[in-house]
Amino acid sequence: MIGAAYLSEWVKLKRRTLLLSTFLGLAAAASLFVVLIFSNAPAHGNGGLPSLQQLARPNGLVFGLTRATFLLGVVAFGTAAAQTASEYSLGTLRQLLVRQPRRVTLLAGKMLAVVTFMMAATAFAAIVAFLVANAMAQSRGVSTSAWFTGTGFGDLLNALGNIELAVIGYTILGLVIGQFLRSAVAAVIVGFAWLLVIEQFILTRIVPSAAPWLPGISLSTIAGGGNSDFGITYSHGLLVAVVYIVVAIVAASITFARRDVTA
Amino acid sequence: MTVTQVTRRTGEPPSSVLAVSTDGLTKRFGDRTVVDGVDLAIPRGSVCGFVGPNGAGKTTTIRMLLGLIRPTAGGGSILGGRLTDPASYLQKVGALIESPAFYPQLSGRDNLKALTRLGRIPAATIDPALERTGMTARAADKYRSYSLGMKQRLGIAAALLPSPELLILDEPTNGLDPGGIVEMRGLIRSFANDGITVLVSSHLISEIEQVCDHVVMIRGGRLVHQGPVAELAARQRPDIVIAPEHAADLGPLTRILEVAGLSVAASPAEGTAEGTAVVTASGATAADLNRLAARSGITLRQITERTHSLEELFFQLTGTDAAMSPGQEMGAIK
Repeated sequence: MIGAAYLSEWVKLKRRTLLLSTFLGLAAAASLFVVLIFSNAPAHGNGGLPSLQQLARPNGLVFGLTRATFLLGVVAFGTAAAQTASEYSLGTLRQLLVRQPRRVTLLAGKMLAVVTFMMAATAFAAIVAFLVANAMAQSRGVSTSAWFTGTGFGDLLNALGNIELAVIGYTILGLVIGQFLRSAVAAVIVGFAWLLVIEQFILTRIVPSAAPWLPGISLSTIAGGGNSDFGITYSHGLLVAVVYIVVAIVAASITFARRDVTA
Repeated sequence: MTVTQVTRRTGEPPSSVLAVSTDGLTKRFGDRTVVDGVDLAIPRGSVCGFVGPNGAGKTTTIRMLLGLIRPTAGGGSILGGRLTDPASYLQKVGALIESPAFYPQLSGRDNLKALTRLGRIPAATIDPALERTGMTARAADKYRSYSLGMKQRLGIAAALLPSPELLILDEPTNGLDPGGIVEMRGLIRSFANDGITVLVSSHLISEIEQVCDHVVMIRGGRLVHQGPVAELAARQRPDIVIAPEHAADLGPLTRILEVAGLSVAASPAEGTAEGTAVVTASGATAADLNRLAARSGITLRQITERTHSLEELFFQLTGTDAAMSPGQEMGAIK
């Protein structure tokens, strides 16, 4: 049942415009960060950007991609929100529910498909970013020998796993907000406002100690393997993010199952 | 005329021969009751017109039948499945709900593919559905490039995918040009020939009259009438239009008929030609009128029975503005 909803969703997800814009958009965003980091890297560390020496270490390959995670997450959030909200605005939801009246099954299949899509797009962006990193390393004279060691591959897989986890979180929150608001534009505005403005406002003006409990910061903690700025451990960030996501999925499932479809 | 309800009466078909049966179906949005205790009894194999003015509750009723809206009260059975469990019957139901809704960036074929996958319907049903609706040649084009008529036909194709036993078409002629309307009518007839039960809603009674053998009339969320179209027509006493040979005899003729206890509207009353009188729904036959006129020495040059259109019957049943001209759509009533 969920498999049928999953396969049906892929017919929509693999349309050329969405596929190209998402995959190439994420790849461009990740590559941009890689290029910026390599081109601005100082010879020796100065506390800000990673130095050329740091980039030559086993984890040097993942610097750019890790820093691009927030941007990847924002794109994932917006794309996912549009996938659920547009079913209402286009009126296609009624067609879908006639063919699959078990609403939670439909929602689950859709979520799985969009999450898979965003994970694939993120993996593609990572591959492109790694190729760009290699090219940039050559141009800046950074040795890449440490990248291709066992430690280097371990760091790479670890970083990629964390980034994928964070993207899954952003994607599910996007799907849920889109489902609640039933408008792609409203969902994107609300999501971006929360991630870019409201969380910062809470931290700087209202409750500075709230950082470990905010969803956006929890997701960025996962992506970075921990958050030294706020002193949040990886496991704490993962736990808080999982709680947010589970609560969001349950709330979305209940409202979706009970809501009258008048669109 | 009083509002009639023919459901749940003695002699009603048993539920096994009904494709759709509801019992006190009600939907309230806040304080507003949109559908109020509707008892539907739609026989299997019929082409059932579901008529009523805009805002009568047709679409809300249809959405409840399709599990899109949860009834506030009441229940029912569709193709033997319970209304509260849409999954038990929707695999045998095809539906076009209001305007067709598809993904603009996908081709017509891909839109149908998404639905077959979701409903676990064999992909082999796509081509026959496209062919039947005349969409094969444009199936590879993006939906956004379709004309309104093509969109409507793709909507019908989507409804045909599950090889339905029941087809629910909500205002299928909306926005179609006259040619498209005739085409749609032909399609609906062809579904009936295949034994599919068709429930087709419209606010244009004249449309329904031409294609349906059963009718459900709804107004203000309440059932006004339901039953075979032929039975409804047979229950009505036709008007008889008479015209004396000499126009000067019209006045005396009218008085003679009124003295005989008949209800007469003489020209220039609405619906009558100059020099004619209309004896309305009296039960008198043409021979009776001819005899009465002859006894008074008046020769009639015309005696014609005039049957009521479904639209006129609707207004008689609802006791609403019977003066509305035939052919005027009910959507004009607010």
